[in-house]
Amino acid sequence: MSARGTSLDGRVAIVTGAGQGVGEGIARRLAQHGAIVVVAARRAATGEPVAEAIRSEGGRAVCIETDVTKGVSIAACVARAVEEFGRLDIVVHNAFTGAIPHRLEEAVLDKHWKGMSLTAGWASLQCAREAHPHLAAASRRPRGEGAGRYVLITSPSGVEGSANIPLYSPAKAAQRAIAKSLAREWGPDGINVNCIAPVAASPSLLTAFDRNPALQQAIEARTPLGRVGDITDDIGSVALFLAGDDSSYVTGQTIVCDGGSFLGL
Amino acid sequence: MTVGIFGRGRVADTLRERVVSDTTARVIVAPLVVESVPVAQITDEQIDRLWEQPMRTVITELQRAHSEGCRRIVVVVPTTGMSGGAQYAAVSAAAEAMRVLVKSAARQWGTSGITVNAVALAPEAFGVDAAVSGPVSIAPRALEGDVDPVATVSFLCSEAAAHVTGQTFVCDGGLWM
Repeated sequence: MSARGTSLDGRVAIVTGAGQGVGEGIARRLAQHGAIVVVAARRAATGEPVAEAIRSEGGRAVCIETDVTKGVSIAACVARAVEEFGRLDIVVHNAFTGAIPHRLEEAVLDKHWKGMSLTAGWASLQCAREAHPHLAAASRRPRGEGAGRYVLITSPSGVEGSANIPLYSPAKAAQRAIAKSLAREWGPDGINVNCIAPVAASPSLLTAFDRNPALQQAIEARTPLGRVGDITDDIGSVALFLAGDDSSYVTGQTIVCDGGSFLGL
Repeated sequence: MTVGIFGRGRVADTLRERVVSDTTARVIVAPLVVESVPVAQITDEQIDRLWEQPMRTVITELQRAHSEGCRRIVVVVPTTGMSGGAQYAAVSAAAEAMRVLVKSAARQWGTSGITVNAVALAPEAFGVDAAVSGPVSIAPRALEGDVDPVATVSFLCSEAAAHVTGQTFVCDGGLWM
């Protein structure tokens, strides 16, 4: 590990969708390296146990119930985080919902598109809007004492399309374009904006493995590293890199973190 | 055979006048609302107008092309989705989402012999102001002269392109590579 980038001591991070899966893994990893983490979860029933687990390991975390399909809820989460901790350095927007397998020609917009659009397109822009002044302020701190970071969780499907959930791909592609656009727009403010495209053992994937053990074997067989990623050790560590000072010259990029399964970038 | 062209503006008008095909084809010119706004100031009304409504329109138009039995479908977008653009985050998101939606459609509809591709044009063809969005590329454009997308779109609308699907043909004189 480098001596410079792994400490997030005193920095405040919001992680949306941190009540489980990739968001939980990222929240845990950032907290392990000193960040005060806001576990932004739709339900306290999932978010509070994650915050408690972080606290029990000696970290600092609070759960703030946040529904990212509502702009006012995002604004309230950001406002409370800043009020409670006095600053906001890092936002990781991971929350996502609405991915239901469908045929494109039969898709009903309010059923097969709306949820993904709200949590990917809308929420990525709304999180950015609410966080911007605080991330810019973080970047004005002396080097090593803070830096604005915005990380969006996208998917390899956002690059290559999907035969199973066709409208999932454009929702995730939008986040990559938003990251590139914000990298250009916020570069002068010193804010870095990047994406992670993970494949990890989230609860939904583990459930799918239980239902269909052949799926796990198939994914592992097509993955050069031969396994499915761990939410904390594999995905959380990439988020830590993008949240910290070691990534100070990286912006507008997508890091695919899937064991080498997708090599199309 | 006449090709159905969906869309408004100069690009759509040019394609409507000159694109022909030897099979049933539909061209969808991205129904983008091109407007620059810093994300720190973007309103929910603007997100709806610049992101949500264009996406709903293009999904519906793809479904219409499929229901009408089109064998070739081409979606025309700006390269802004691939490059990103300062103050064009919502527009860029919609453009890139449309370009990747083409890949999903190609994957699902390929077994029916339907091809779906994208043609990407320089941002200014859609009214994106490069002075605001930032340069598409760090290198200058490779080719000089006017860019005419008609031949590229016509090829993708033809029987000859039967084995090309899910692709993006960048037709901008060699700016985005």
